[in-house]
Amino acid sequence: MPQLDTPLSPDSVQGMRSRMGNLHMVKSWLVHLSRHNRTLLVAGSVFATVIVLLLLTPWIAQHAPSAMTLSERFAGPSAEHWLGQDHLGRDVFSRLLYGGQFSVSITTITLVISAVVGTLLGVISARAGGVVDEFLMRLVDLMISFPDVLVALLLVAILGPGYGTLILALTITGWTPFARMTRGLALEINAKDYIRAAEILGCSRTFIIVYHVIPNVLRPLATIAFLRFGHKLITVGSLSFLGLGVQPPDTDWAAMLAEALPYLDRAPALVLIPGLAIFITALSVTLVGQGLEAHLDAKMKWRHESK
Amino acid sequence: MPIFILRRFAVLALALLVVTFLVFLIPYIGETDPVRALARARFGRLDLDAATIEALRLELGMHRPLIVQYLDWLRSAVTGDFGNSYMSREPVVEQVWSALKVSVVLTLASLGFAFAVAVPAGSIAALRQGGSFDMATKSLSQAFVAVPEYWLAPMSILVFALYLGWLPSAGWRGPESVILPALALSLRPMGYFTQVMRASMIDVLNSPHIVAAHSRGLSVRRTLIAHGLRNALLPVITLFSVWMAGLLGGAVVIEVIFAVPGMGRLVYSAIVNGDIPVLQAGLVAIVTLAVVINTVTDLAYTVLNPVVRIDNATA
Repeated sequence: MPQLDTPLSPDSVQGMRSRMGNLHMVKSWLVHLSRHNRTLLVAGSVFATVIVLLLLTPWIAQHAPSAMTLSERFAGPSAEHWLGQDHLGRDVFSRLLYGGQFSVSITTITLVISAVVGTLLGVISARAGGVVDEFLMRLVDLMISFPDVLVALLLVAILGPGYGTLILALTITGWTPFARMTRGLALEINAKDYIRAAEILGCSRTFIIVYHVIPNVLRPLATIAFLRFGHKLITVGSLSFLGLGVQPPDTDWAAMLAEALPYLDRAPALVLIPGLAIFITALSVTLVGQGLEAHLDAKMKWRHESK
Repeated sequence: MPIFILRRFAVLALALLVVTFLVFLIPYIGETDPVRALARARFGRLDLDAATIEALRLELGMHRPLIVQYLDWLRSAVTGDFGNSYMSREPVVEQVWSALKVSVVLTLASLGFAFAVAVPAGSIAALRQGGSFDMATKSLSQAFVAVPEYWLAPMSILVFALYLGWLPSAGWRGPESVILPALALSLRPMGYFTQVMRASMIDVLNSPHIVAAHSRGLSVRRTLIAHGLRNALLPVITLFSVWMAGLLGGAVVIEVIFAVPGMGRLVYSAIVNGDIPVLQAGLVAIVTLAVVINTVTDLAYTVLNPVVRIDNATA
């Protein structure tokens, strides 16, 4: 097996060179990260906590998300209902957990599909060059400035509301940053000496892409995915807010917020809480992305200096 | 005219042709027969018999091949005739025009504010890297980016309209009604602009021509104003134009919350009501603006930045 990417820090070199170094690599990477980037550690923990809470929802949520108790409308926090009850007497905490599952999973699915589509198109753009490249990059330019919300609105008008429509709409507007970055990286990597060396040695195209190009693109891709996550989460929310995303009886954070809006002066907490959930999730995941980006930069710098 | 400019215009024209064709197709993709939809809008009746529908189809020329109908539609669209709204029965162009004016005001107000804060904040942060101002700017700009506008908007209504009573909570009357929606829209771009401004200013500060100017003995301020700022602004201006194109039609949520009669809300209600002429005209306007803004930015970039100019000329 060819050597993977170069190590992350001088002190982890030894571990990575060892044959069974994978586990050690992950460990030393985490140690390195936590030692050098406190923000990344904190933001990562917050995001991980959110994910774990959402995964454990069926066991943590004490109430069914749509169970109403009309006699307890707008009730404040209690031992039974930690965050109080909404305008239909539903448990806010349970709805927050179930709603979060929707927000976060739709965002994740969209990002994964966008990343795959974008990477493919980026590699194609870089390989093909010429007219194909020009066309794809102009398309990226146009798509970047075209509002996500309008694409989704349009698709909903044509295909009708639904999760498939939602994911399709968000993917149509979401693949562009991945394509642009992969194209740039692919052009850069293709010009590297080790690619030429591999070609001279008679390695196949597929081998080169799988063992040289993809490992090098993977980490920047993950970084972009983290950086885009917050933005996508907010966009998914704005569609649910308009009634085009999640469909009742399911709910998500923005739908909870929209439902509580008529009671803004009476029960502002019902608007505050779901918004806060979106904010905290988006912030923590963005900070993780920026931490990874800074880390990537630092690594590049270190590699340049060590040459 | 240099070849790259001509090429840009050719791409622009092609993009617009493709987009207008897609927009033209909208009534034909859905499940309902476009003639039936039109008849329903015109006569307000659902129970028209097949013979009437066919007569209407002939009268409207909708039996002809799609491409002929498209060219026909395009010809009237170019002269500003998108037909009448199914809802208000008034010419669509006037509705789009008035919505556009509102959106331009809202977009420029919010992005202008974001820009005016981000440029000095990002520059100062870059000059004092690692200082407390830099740290504060960094944290704030990171937080701003994560604030959903549909959360900030109700919260600001709560504070400034309901509790303090300083500003109207919704509507579009007079300058004071611009403040809250513009503010709610400006936070995320402000965060992005600041981050980009800081990064690009740091790049510029480390570039050889600034170091050279410094070593010639120019003061920091003169160096920055004469050599640094212009270069550092380029990426922020690009980002500004991307956001501008995006907000002109994409501020749907904010326009709905604050009842602002802008493009976003116009297109949103056109979709909800199935008002196809309004939808078509709105989309054509938004896409045309996006493409034009994009092209103008590229050309401006080329004029401002000699490196890009050479790249483009040789490409």
